Order: sequence, then C-alpha cells, then structure tokens
Amino acid sequence: MSEKNQNTNQQFTQWVDDYSDQLYSWAYHKTSSKEIAEDLVQETFLSAFKGIDNFKNESQPKTWLFRILNNKIIDHYRKAARKNEKLVDNEFLHTKKTDDLFEPDGHWKMTGFNAGWEEEEHLLDNHEFNVVLSNCIHKLPEKWRAAIESKYQSVKKAEEICKELNITSSNYWQIIHRAKLQLKICIEKNWMT
Amino acid sequence: MGQYSCKKATEMVEKRSITGLTISESLKLKLHLSICKACRAYQKQSELIDTFFENNDGQENDLKVIENNELKSFIIAKLKDQ
Repeated sequence: MSEKNQNTNQQFTQWVDDYSDQLYSWAYHKTSSKEIAEDLVQETFLSAFKGIDNFKNESQPKTWLFRILNNKIIDHYRKAARKNEKLVDNEFLHTKKTDDLFEPDGHWKMTGFNAGWEEEEHLLDNHEFNVVLSNCIHKLPEKWRAAIESKYQSVKKAEEICKELNITSSNYWQIIHRAKLQLKICIEKNWMT
Repeated sequence: MGQYSCKKATEMVEKRSITGLTISESLKLKLHLSICKACRAYQKQSELIDTFFENNDGQENDLKVIENNELKSFIIAKLKDQ
C-alpha cells in the first residue's frame, strides 16, 4: 500500500470508529433493512476513501460522510422504484385512496378529517409529530417516496429526476400531489390536535 | 375555462412549486384559494411537509444510535484492501 493510502487508512479507521454507528442508524431509519443499511454505509466509506481528495477539510468529516450517504440512499430509492413492477398495482390502490378524498366534481369530501393540525405552533419542533410524519413517509409507495425525497435532497433538476424514475414531468408533480395527500390522510389519522 | 375545483387547485399548488404556473393558472389558483378555506389549509399542510423534508438533514443528530461493531470491523478490513 502506498504511503498516501496508509495515512488515509489511519484517518478512515478513526472515522469508521467515530461515525459508522451514526451513519448506520440513519441508513437503517431510512431503509428499514439491516442488510441494505450496512451496504450503504460500506459504500459510503468506500466512496469517501476513493474520493478523499475532494474532502480537503472544507467541512466536518461527519457532514461530508452524511452527504455521501444521503445521496446513496436516494439512489437506492430510485433503483427500487424503477425495478419493482408490482408497484403498478400498489400505486393504483394508493391512488384510489387519495382520489377518494374528493367528490366526483372535485370538491373536498366532508369526512370530518382536516383537524387543523397545520395551525399548531412549532409543530415541526414536536418530536412526536416528527415520528408520526416519518412513519407516514415510510408507508408511501416506493416510487412516490423516491419522487418526494428527490425533490428536496438533491440538486438534480426535475428533468433528471423524471428520467431516472421513468415518469413525465407532469407525472412528477402529480405523484408529489398524491404523496402529499396520502401523508395528509396518514397524519390526520395518527395525530391528535 | 371554468374555475378550479378543490382537487385541481391542490394539484396546482404542487405544480407551482415544481414547474411554476402560467399566468392564467396562477390567477385561477389565487382566486380559488381566496374563497376556499379547506384548500388554504391544504396549502399550509403542503408547505409544512415541505419544511419537514428540507429540515430532514438535521435529524441525523436526533436519532437513537444503534451499535453495530461487526459492521465497523468489516468496513475497516475492506478499506485495508483498497
């Protein structure tokens, strides 16, 4: 091994010790799979090792490693969304549920939901609410989850995201629309104002 | 073309944040929101969910940490092969 690699190796052994558990916990939280989470963390350290020249002390190692991990998590969602043919049925069921919020003429159904939770102060600082919303996100169909997560966690443009998910641009915001409706249903079912 | 239904209005709320709206679409949406309380609530809910995702990165720090020592050993060994 070259001297450069030896020094890098020492550095990385320290980083694995310091950050692997946190990275693993986060990956497991996002994927609900021990195997996938372990793979993603391993891939993260490997990518970081190969790309160490890009680090250059510009940020905290922890921030840098989490950024790499989050990108790999997004890629994982996208691959899963593209691969799974069964999604067609799964999406159909979820779409029916969200369409069901509206009357045929497009008005909201007066079902008694919509408890006004959006008016609560500091809702996003509330740990329990965050747990409820996280669980609701986990229940989204894979493709919807991929679409909605991509929007916020990536600098890629909408066109690229559409290409990777194999959807049209109008499909993209329609999927986000349905995802948000499903999240709304789930929140209102699980959160008491 | 007529006014927006609630279903259409909520779709346009999302379209607005992704591709933007035409002037016509924007006016129709504003009109609907001005007279529909339920859709104003939806808009707020949608924005709340947006903010949750935008803040999501910070949550890495709040998460309960699971110990996985086998993973550490495995990774360290793998890096030595690089």
